[in-house]
Amino acid sequence: MSNLLDVAGIGISFGGLKAVQNFSLSMPKGCLYGLIGPNGAGKTTVFNLLTGVYRAQTGTITLDGVRVEGLPPHQIAAAGLSRTFQNIRLFGDLTVLDNVKLACHLRGSHSMLATMLRTAGFQAQEGAITARAMDMLGVFGLERLAGEQARNLPYGDQRRLEICRALATEPKVLLLDEPAAGMNPSEKKSLAETIRQIRERFGLAVLLIEHDMGLVMEICQQITVLDHGEVIAVGTPEQVQSNPKVIEAYLGAAEPAAADAVEAGGAAAASSAGGAHGAA
Amino acid sequence: MAATGALGASIPKHRPSSEQLLRTAVLPWFVVLVLAVLAQIVLQPLLGEYGAKVARQAGIFIIAAVSLNVVNGFTGQFSMGHAGFMAVGGYVAAFTTYYGSMVLYGSADKLAYPVVAGVTLPLTTGHLLMLAGIALGGCVAAVLGLLVGLPSLRLRGDYLAIVTLGFGEIVRVLLELSGPQMFTAAEVKDATVKQWLSFPVGGSLGFSGIPTYADAFWVFLLAAGTCLIAYRIKQSSSGRAFLSIREDEIAARAMGINLTAYKVRAFVFAAFFGGVAGGLLVHSGVPSQPSIAGFQASFEIIIMVVLGGLGSISGAVLAAIILSVLPEMLRNLAEFRLILYALLLIVMMLVRPKGLFGVREVWELGRGGGSGGGGGGSVSGGGGR
Repeated sequence: MSNLLDVAGIGISFGGLKAVQNFSLSMPKGCLYGLIGPNGAGKTTVFNLLTGVYRAQTGTITLDGVRVEGLPPHQIAAAGLSRTFQNIRLFGDLTVLDNVKLACHLRGSHSMLATMLRTAGFQAQEGAITARAMDMLGVFGLERLAGEQARNLPYGDQRRLEICRALATEPKVLLLDEPAAGMNPSEKKSLAETIRQIRERFGLAVLLIEHDMGLVMEICQQITVLDHGEVIAVGTPEQVQSNPKVIEAYLGAAEPAAADAVEAGGAAAASSAGGAHGAA
Repeated sequence: MAATGALGASIPKHRPSSEQLLRTAVLPWFVVLVLAVLAQIVLQPLLGEYGAKVARQAGIFIIAAVSLNVVNGFTGQFSMGHAGFMAVGGYVAAFTTYYGSMVLYGSADKLAYPVVAGVTLPLTTGHLLMLAGIALGGCVAAVLGLLVGLPSLRLRGDYLAIVTLGFGEIVRVLLELSGPQMFTAAEVKDATVKQWLSFPVGGSLGFSGIPTYADAFWVFLLAAGTCLIAYRIKQSSSGRAFLSIREDEIAARAMGINLTAYKVRAFVFAAFFGGVAGGLLVHSGVPSQPSIAGFQASFEIIIMVVLGGLGSISGAVLAAIILSVLPEMLRNLAEFRLILYALLLIVMMLVRPKGLFGVREVWELGRGGGSGGGGGGSVSGGGGR
């Protein structure tokens, strides 16, 4: 009841490949949640399932009491789930400001007739959208770049603009797909600070995919570890770090000769691991 | 509870003052009107009969190119059937004016223009008939735009292009199969229901004798009006939604844009104004033949849009003017026109791959990037063209 986002047993297969199976997650309000796992574990697929890019073949997704699985992406965004992308997907030809203004689109009405006539209501809304977008840019220190084309921004600023754009849709849950990828240590530090700040300021829950363990362990309160499309561990950073299955998934088994056996045994062990650590 | 939505609620909406509203919403239309009057009483005599005809042609193609730009340029959907919508609008408008005149005035001759204080005014009841026909033609084209747009939206790129190309050809063939034209009022009076149902617009012989009410005033008014409306859309939340679809469909959906709704909107909008352009075309003295719906006609408009820059309204305007005037200057080489077009396109692709102005407008070229986002403010530029 108190959970903002409840995901229960979602899964999807592409042909014979079970990309994600029986994935569950519970996020209370205001939590910072990490989703980690080796490359190809299915983390981004989970994001695509949550945001409706893929349709979940099994399971349910409940956002603030509303079932959203099976809805088209724009309705899920309207329900309060917003995301960034692993490979940045800004609207490159639009200005920085227009990128954020577009994200404000959800919370307004857009009659073509009012647009053509430039009615008072239309102008008031456009003014409000511009003001809000500038405000949002201000939070990320991007306001001086407002008139710049998004594609011309330096990499770090593009990443931050994407977060800013996602926030402008007024989400309840924010999904960040590797926000620190390609950032240097000092940029990562300020990113961690920004994520904390926006969580507090906008009171939303953040689900984070990240490969930088330092960052994840530093800011996340709860972590789910995914490998081969299945949850292998759930818990606090300390619990996850000391979990042998997690270490195995990342570093492989102790003896190289046993690799095949681990591969086979890992899957079987994983299903029980989910239950064992789920209580945390 | 304190959490979500607090941000949005904290932004007050400032309703513009009535003085501001007058300046931003009404003044541009007034400017357009004044310029249209000037086009009629100053520009038309200045250009002479032939020059004025070319100018009117350019104006009509401006409407066609600017409206197609909303689909091909803003939204990034490649439609190749724009001439089909033009032909539908044109034939419906021509039908209305021609047979309307037959019924009301007993012939399809032009009515005498009223002269007020030595100035001949292009405003008779015949003109009103033409305007009604154009509006009707635009609406019919818009409905067809909806019908073509809805199923086509599952398609992308080449496939959408083929479907829309097919639409234009269907219109052309249907027009060729239409019934024979009725030339006298007596014929019209005695016409049977069957004759009317055959849509008597002359088949492949073409529809002739349509009164040429599309004077410079009307062409300018509708062309500048179309540009103004297109510009307002570009500078609005709807325009940003169109552009976002072109830039990245997945990101647009994730930001809450309903792709289907916006693609259909773009199609319907373009079809309506394409129909309006067609309506003016048939009233400008150009022979109305089914070939105006054909591939070649669609292609000419696409060239204008690409040449001007996908997404640039002023670019489309400039390209429409260039490509209307250029063929007239190269009249001796008429057969080589298409070769010249192709060459021009190839050169453009090499020199300016994004068209003359890219997505920007001509007055934005000096700036570092984009429109800077003036929001509600300076808009009256639309009337200046």
